[in-house]
Amino acid sequence: MSSQAVRRLILIGLMIAIAGLITSINPVFLTLGNLQKLFQEAAQVGIIAVGFTLVMITAGIDMSIGGIVAITAMVSINILSYTKIPVPVFVPLLLLVGAFVGFINGYLITKFKLPEFIVTLAVRSVLSGLALVIAVKDSLGFVQNVYIQNDQYLWFGTQTFGSIYRTTIAFVILGVATQLFIKNTRAGTNIYAAGANPVAAKLSGVNTERTVLGVYVFSGICASMAAIFISSRMMTAMPELGIGSEMDVIASVVIGGTPFTGGVGDIWGTMLGSLFLALIKNGILKTGISPWYQPIAIGGIIVVTVIVDVWQKKAHEKLTARAKLRKLDAEARKSAA
Amino acid sequence: MTTQTNTNDDLLVCKQIVKSYNGPLVLDRVDFSVKRGEVHALVGENGAGKSTIIKVITGATNRNSGDMMFDGQVIPLNHSRNNAQDLGIGVIFQELSLIPGMTVAQNIFLTKEPFFPGTRFINHRLMNRNAQELIDRYQFPLKATDVIDKLSIAQRQLVEILKAMSMNAKLMIMDEPTSSLTKTEVAMLFEIIRKLKSDGISVLYISHRMEEIYALADRVTVLRDGKLVAVLEKEQISPAEIIRLMIGHKLEENALSHKLEPKDGEVVLEVKDLTSVGKFEKVSFKLHEGEILGLGGLVGSGRTEVVRAIYGIDPIDEGSITYLGKPYKPSVLRSIKSGIGFIPEERRLQGILATLSITHNIGITNLDRLAPKFVLNLKKEGEFSREGIKLVNVKPPVPEQLVGNLSGGNQQKVVLAKWLIRNLKLVIIDEPTVGIDIGAKDEIYTHIKNLASQGVSILLVSSDLPELTRLSDRIIVLRKGRVFTEFKDCVVTSEKILRAASGILEEA
Repeated sequence: MSSQAVRRLILIGLMIAIAGLITSINPVFLTLGNLQKLFQEAAQVGIIAVGFTLVMITAGIDMSIGGIVAITAMVSINILSYTKIPVPVFVPLLLLVGAFVGFINGYLITKFKLPEFIVTLAVRSVLSGLALVIAVKDSLGFVQNVYIQNDQYLWFGTQTFGSIYRTTIAFVILGVATQLFIKNTRAGTNIYAAGANPVAAKLSGVNTERTVLGVYVFSGICASMAAIFISSRMMTAMPELGIGSEMDVIASVVIGGTPFTGGVGDIWGTMLGSLFLALIKNGILKTGISPWYQPIAIGGIIVVTVIVDVWQKKAHEKLTARAKLRKLDAEARKSAA
Repeated sequence: MTTQTNTNDDLLVCKQIVKSYNGPLVLDRVDFSVKRGEVHALVGENGAGKSTIIKVITGATNRNSGDMMFDGQVIPLNHSRNNAQDLGIGVIFQELSLIPGMTVAQNIFLTKEPFFPGTRFINHRLMNRNAQELIDRYQFPLKATDVIDKLSIAQRQLVEILKAMSMNAKLMIMDEPTSSLTKTEVAMLFEIIRKLKSDGISVLYISHRMEEIYALADRVTVLRDGKLVAVLEKEQISPAEIIRLMIGHKLEENALSHKLEPKDGEVVLEVKDLTSVGKFEKVSFKLHEGEILGLGGLVGSGRTEVVRAIYGIDPIDEGSITYLGKPYKPSVLRSIKSGIGFIPEERRLQGILATLSITHNIGITNLDRLAPKFVLNLKKEGEFSREGIKLVNVKPPVPEQLVGNLSGGNQQKVVLAKWLIRNLKLVIIDEPTVGIDIGAKDEIYTHIKNLASQGVSILLVSSDLPELTRLSDRIIVLRKGRVFTEFKDCVVTSEKILRAASGILEEA
């Protein structure tokens, strides 16, 4: 069994154990209503994390995702408040907001060879300010908390299909489609190659610049998509929406087994990771622990995950080295005999 | 009596040094000594054991057996870098080990910064003064407060030298110090080496460049295949003699000489007056169908730069390329499309995708066939992978295996395979067998030969002279960015190539 499969089985086992523990403390955990919300929560983070995973596979990072969520929500609330454009027309266009920001990120990174972290962090700052600037204000100039009453808009985040929230369904569709994309298309292969070794990839004919640009655009689109579902679910949107969600997204991706070093990772892992994270958050609430402990738990989990990964890698190397030695030994004995 | 004085003269004495990295002997009972205040050159082909003996002396690795004495003190078997520093052995590495953001003084006194008395606060003024004194003593063109980033490579080397001097180095080891210096900078370095010598400091100088050794060295030690071949005294030193010793005579006659037989098929590639300013100048040659054209020359002679330009990685300033009878403007994508393959030097840095499987590594250059539209044909990718693995005999023959976990030889085979399963007309191969065991080497040679016999033209760059002479049908030697000479239709030897690369023309 591959070390990736082992890792996943451990993660799933751990989730089952944690779920059992939570249920034993508070049986409400296992009710349909709670599970629905848990999966929706996982989906809201997970949709962003899907795009983020591709960025991480290219050995990059996108710190602007929270800003993209905020700006998309603000654009949306403006359209809802001031225009009569029908939802089916403008909602798909909202994805262009993220695509545009992602393009800017990618362009700056590939054209000027700037560090991903700084570029996207700066863009995040710009976006969080811009979100406040364009937020709907009252006559005194204070940011107004607009309640969304458009039923068509609320269709996305507040309705279920069967007994599953539409957000969750969207997440699963996006996740599966993206997984198929990165494993089964030329562009997907290029993403892995660009992250594994950009020089070798380039010499093999991969257009690494276009590939990197593409993943930032995709990351932006995913963040905008999440913004639609989250604002719809909350039936409102504040300019701070999504700011700070980077932590949850990074945690999901890292728990899912996509390292910061690039060239490795997939969406199945990220989907598991976001579910794991939602489970922990939900568990903290359901077991009566103060929600203030959520960020502490998330930070701790990231560190533990990274430690375990490093440890597992070392153990794996040790095992292969030992196997090699044994083989050499056997050969030596054979030639001696 | 004479032996007695000799021993006192010797700063470093190594006797019967043996070193092996779990396998063949890299150093086989080598005797080696450096006298006080001499410039001692260490020469040998790639793999002769030069770097290993340096590593043994500086404590970067440990010898298996043999005695070493430095300045009258016995160097224990578990030698270390710190120990070497304490003894007074300084090294100037090819890749300099300075910290870019810091000043000259900070670098010189790193971990030895002077404090204000009774405190742990650094006395910057004193540190700068001490550094400046050291600089002035050797009249280096430096200021103690210069930041490393702003210095040229040559100046950085000086800082390295000062760093070693500040630790009272008695022996200064310089590993190919001139490889990235300009002419005037080399002259300056030579002045400094002579000054060090007159101060009684010994210099151990490693270089491929015969003229430098001739100009500097008091004595030369020649290594070959991990064994000591000869120690030449000043009056015995001549470039031709050194080269003869490096290559060795016996081998020369059978294994290493090779009759060149140029192929005169159709011209596949013609390069005319190719120039890239500062890298190479007016390089011209023709490559015929099914021919293996070897590019020889020292490291830095422009070989790699020429082939990179032809493949379309680096831009060309002047000159023209004709490929398959048509003018060709290189770009990586165009090259791949039109049947050119490229196997780069430095496999780990440029060749492999370590975190990906053999299948994906082989697939990456064949995406045009695997995914003509958009969707990747996974079944076909698997077939390509199995075909490639079988073709070059990758071990283990497991398509899912991550390439990073393969041995060096098998990694190189994968790099080979991703091109071999394509319909190629021209392959550029740069240093195909560096760091590869002999078995894998032979296999790779067979593949290169087979390719040529199938009509594929090959441009081969190699510093491994036996490899170059054995594989090539014709050899061009580059020197300082220009074509120096061409070998065709004659018996070529490693010695001839090395002489040409060192700028010695054969008498007609």
